[in-house]
Amino acid sequence: MAARVGIVGIGHIKFGNLSEYDLVDIMAYTATDALIDAGILEDRRVIDQVFVANMGGGIINHQTGIASALVSRLDLEPTPAELVENGPASGASAVKLGWMAIASGMADVVMVVGGETMRKVTGWLATDFVATLLHPEAEYNMGLTLPSFAGMFTRLYMERYGITERDLALVAVKDHENAAKNKYAHVQEPCTIEAIHDSPDAHVINNYVAEPLRIYSMCPVSDGAATVILVNMDSPKAAKFNKKPIRIAGIGSATDTHCVHNRKDPLVLEAVRLSAERAYAMAGVKPQDISFAELHDPFVILEIAISEEVGFFPRGKSVEAIRRGETRINGRLPINTSGGLKAKGHPVGATGVSQVVELVRQLRGKAEQGRQVKDPHYGMAVNFGGFGNNVVTVICAKE
Amino acid sequence: MIDFSVYDKKQPEIYAYKCPKCGTAYYPVSMICAKCSNRRDPSGIVYPDWEKLPLEGPCKLLTWTRVWALPEGYDRPYLLFGIVEFPGGLRAAGRLEAENPTIGMNLVAHVEESTERPGPPVNMFVFSED
Repeated sequence: MAARVGIVGIGHIKFGNLSEYDLVDIMAYTATDALIDAGILEDRRVIDQVFVANMGGGIINHQTGIASALVSRLDLEPTPAELVENGPASGASAVKLGWMAIASGMADVVMVVGGETMRKVTGWLATDFVATLLHPEAEYNMGLTLPSFAGMFTRLYMERYGITERDLALVAVKDHENAAKNKYAHVQEPCTIEAIHDSPDAHVINNYVAEPLRIYSMCPVSDGAATVILVNMDSPKAAKFNKKPIRIAGIGSATDTHCVHNRKDPLVLEAVRLSAERAYAMAGVKPQDISFAELHDPFVILEIAISEEVGFFPRGKSVEAIRRGETRINGRLPINTSGGLKAKGHPVGATGVSQVVELVRQLRGKAEQGRQVKDPHYGMAVNFGGFGNNVVTVICAKE
Repeated sequence: MIDFSVYDKKQPEIYAYKCPKCGTAYYPVSMICAKCSNRRDPSGIVYPDWEKLPLEGPCKLLTWTRVWALPEGYDRPYLLFGIVEFPGGLRAAGRLEAENPTIGMNLVAHVEESTERPGPPVNMFVFSED
């Protein structure tokens, strides 16, 4: 039986435009917060391993060897440290590797830090940087980007299942409502359905970006970082920490075709389904046991599609729950309580770690007033890389 | 002086690759055939390379978008993109040139050279109504 792995420390910086700061500095800032949260700032060499998630340091910041730089900034040498790059799923992949390091017996305490500074370059260059994860000849060379695929996915979804632009806007309104109460969110401004859809002038502030997706259907370009500290709950070292662990009950990942056009059905996100099934199986739970979820939504259509793929709703039916308000904070199944990538922001390497931080805050009962889920027991995070070709699902439980 | 290089200039092409063992075609190319597990050797030295088939001609539009936020290098307000299916089932993504695109419409795929992004020219699909 694998070791029980718990999260005993978290750190998170407010996402936004942090372009005046150094990438390693913002990572180290959240790592220090996590050390303090765990109660091991002075005793930090109890950490056996550091994993660092980052996607674009080499391209955007012209910096490599980021894991080495981070441990040095934290005065944590000679602790082993490695960088994990798995596209926008880098964060949850690093959490998964932390879990594996503990489960294998190689480590008892692991620090996982995710970070990205994307606003050091123009929005056009940031879009181009993310597009480098596409197939070089069959996708990137055509001028395709992630928003392009999201637009094509959305159009087909609308055609097949009858969802509307108003449904997309309802997801955005709900995400902004949550982000407005989240001290770490990039966009802390609520928006109304009148302003972004129902008003005759709505198109003025909510114009098309990748039709049928509009500005309010998409995440901002954000900088940010987040950290979690994992411990083997059955190790004597577990007694060193001053926080009750939030257990990682299940973790699973899967891959899908590199090229979107090679999927039998372009609307089926097979890696999402498989990663969730693997996480459910490890945790011994079913979709109906999940109290709330953080679903990777750089485009609001993905919150809709992922919520169906992981089994929360039948395919094509989640919009009925959205229209009834069931995914809002006080609804039957709150989704993207943090504001999601849509409004909290999406510094790609940090996102998966940030999602797990949100699970911990909710399961500790420490989310801000007005966005705390009532008595949650299981929280689930889906971190989605590429356009669904590499996905990691994490399920956390309150002990 | 005559510039002979103009005579070497070829029409840009994008290829599908056919497994010589079972005949399954792939776009883009794979290293292992998903159907019969036959391997490929891009050098053609140790094992034969797979047959290259120019991919173009009639196709059907599966989905499309008009993108208003383009990456660095594209000096125009928007571009249309689509995913198409060729007879036989191979699919591809690329540029779309159509006045009023609709899912399921018939198109023709051809290959053009693109010099919009920094770096050497690249080949891209253009799907148009004619």
